[in-house]
Amino acid sequence: MIEGEDLELFRQSLRRATQRHTGAALDAALQDLGWQDALSADTRAAVSLLFELQGSANVISSGLDWVLGSVLGQEGQAVVLPVLGQWNAPGALGDGQLRVRGAGTAALGERETALIVARAGESHVTVEVGTASLARRAVGGIDPALGLAEVTGAVAGSRELGPADWRAAVALGQLALGHELLGASRRMLELAREHALGRIQFGRPISAFQAVRHRLAETLVAIEAADAMLDAAWLDRTPQTAGMAKAAAGRAARVTARHCQQVLAGIGFTAEHPLHRHVRRIMVLEQLLGAARSLTRELGAEILAGRRLPELLPL
Amino acid sequence: MQLGAFRKSVDEWLDSRGGVLAPAFEGAGTLDQKMAQIASVRRLAFDAGWARWGWPERVGGFGGSTLLRAYLSEAVTARDLVEPGLYSMPEVLSPSVITFARPELAAAMLPPLLRGDEVWCQGFSEPGTGSNLASLTCRAVRVTAGSGRDGWRVTGQKVWTSLSQYAQRCVLLTRTGPAESAHKGITALFVDMNTPGVTIRPIETMDGEQEFSELFFDDVFVPMERTLGAEGQGWALAMDMLPYERSTALWQRSAWLHRRLRELVTVAEPGAIDPAALGEVTELVYAFRARSRATVHRMAAGEQLGAETSIDKVLLATAEQALFDLVAEALPAEVTIGDDPQSERWRAEFLYSRAATIYGGTAEIQRNVIARRLLDLGNDH
Repeated sequence: MIEGEDLELFRQSLRRATQRHTGAALDAALQDLGWQDALSADTRAAVSLLFELQGSANVISSGLDWVLGSVLGQEGQAVVLPVLGQWNAPGALGDGQLRVRGAGTAALGERETALIVARAGESHVTVEVGTASLARRAVGGIDPALGLAEVTGAVAGSRELGPADWRAAVALGQLALGHELLGASRRMLELAREHALGRIQFGRPISAFQAVRHRLAETLVAIEAADAMLDAAWLDRTPQTAGMAKAAAGRAARVTARHCQQVLAGIGFTAEHPLHRHVRRIMVLEQLLGAARSLTRELGAEILAGRRLPELLPL
Repeated sequence: MQLGAFRKSVDEWLDSRGGVLAPAFEGAGTLDQKMAQIASVRRLAFDAGWARWGWPERVGGFGGSTLLRAYLSEAVTARDLVEPGLYSMPEVLSPSVITFARPELAAAMLPPLLRGDEVWCQGFSEPGTGSNLASLTCRAVRVTAGSGRDGWRVTGQKVWTSLSQYAQRCVLLTRTGPAESAHKGITALFVDMNTPGVTIRPIETMDGEQEFSELFFDDVFVPMERTLGAEGQGWALAMDMLPYERSTALWQRSAWLHRRLRELVTVAEPGAIDPAALGEVTELVYAFRARSRATVHRMAAGEQLGAETSIDKVLLATAEQALFDLVAEALPAEVTIGDDPQSERWRAEFLYSRAATIYGGTAEIQRNVIARRLLDLGNDH
């Protein structure tokens, strides 16, 4: 466990790194800081700190690859993600062939090999493939800075590394993305708050108007609810709670984007103000490993199928 | 006593005494029945010792973490032994009374409350004083009574005073300063409800109960030693109370919401519940639970709770209304036309949930607090 002063120092170092670097340079800085070691020593601290700061600073790293790789027992590899909006494994093994349809982070383009979790009958296996055997289409889309790629392929003779706990990998990935959404949301709220205090209309700051205040209050409630759900998910570590936390974070980010965009009004609609970068980013993060709407519907369907609620987190 | 051991012992006790503890009525029960049931559960839990943990030894408790009493509240509400709102009254009122009352008064008054022998009520709101509590006008004037005892003479009116017809005591906020003194001129008194001059007029609510009342004070004498804190400290007491009202007094509602959600999922016809709506309500209940859990842990760790507990209240109100909106959609016959005890309970709880954004500080007041105190947005005018 990283605690007390060590935790604060680690946070400050990560903060500096995420404010200065992005992409491969941030990966190098994380290596220097020992983030990858922290990931195994104190997963919660490493994941929650990095991803919140990354979300706040609107930067990218191969952190998500590391997180998924750590569950699959293959730290440091690039890991192919499911297609946007889904959380089922991106690969399928059958007839001596691996079929792949998924998404890759920026890290995938820089590696010679990548991990793909594939369905094989009723179970999942981790497969290593050469990235040259995959077709990659760089995604521009709403957030070109995220560096995502669409990945497809049909690979013969790939190397099976062993059984994969895909549900656990998804759960930890959802927590990471939840924290990144939370960091982005808190940053958007800061931007809107600063604007509301400084923008004078009718002879007073617009923060004096209840319509504005209640939007921002609503935003903070959504953010704190997601924060509490993420905490709960770290405590009970069940895939179901991780899904709920990702859904809460995704929903909070959408609520935050809507209210902050409105409070920031004209300036927040320009490319000159930083808000749009966060709005773009959360739209994609929301879709990675399941969007709030589909995760929530799935939760409800699971409860109805078993006529059974998830356990309550004990006091 | 550690929480884990306490939990195990309380669970064993509750499960082994199920027959004695269970309510004698079916469905919602009348308010009289619910209050008698709460008194019975309190007495049994106090005599067995469980209801004394988490309360200071100087007021008859056994000491230990406030988590212990939070667990007991949760355990009895999760088993549907008590109605969570009515049961939580001591959690709202007594911590601040313990802090502000003379030590002898607190030591005398707490045990009968915790044992269920007595009920207290909260005389704060007035006809002209709702969200703007500092504008209250119920007047207390210092006097020396005929017997030569110093005290206060109270004249005025309170409203929305829950359970006052059952209460032996009232924590009463009075105006002791000049009319324009706002929050500075308020003094808190601990009033015996059987004092001459106190009149109670119960008000029937939308869910068919007489849970709260109008209270009239007509030249009511209150001895000086019943002052809570010093003269002019009434606002400080009210502010001290709010975090409890939004922490240990709310916590057990998550267990209750979880139970009702489970019952809904069990009894609803296949196809009657929309999976997306169910998933959303579940997430709201779990988010409130997660937030409230963190809050009661912060209190137990000795942290001073404050305005951030307004978020807990907003999350509770949101979750509770969403749950009973789903109940109304999934069990329409029960909520609208059923006259059996189970239907009456669903209907009463649906109707009661409409007040979740009103009682204990409205949804709008909570958002004002969040904006001013948590987001530091300055004054709103």
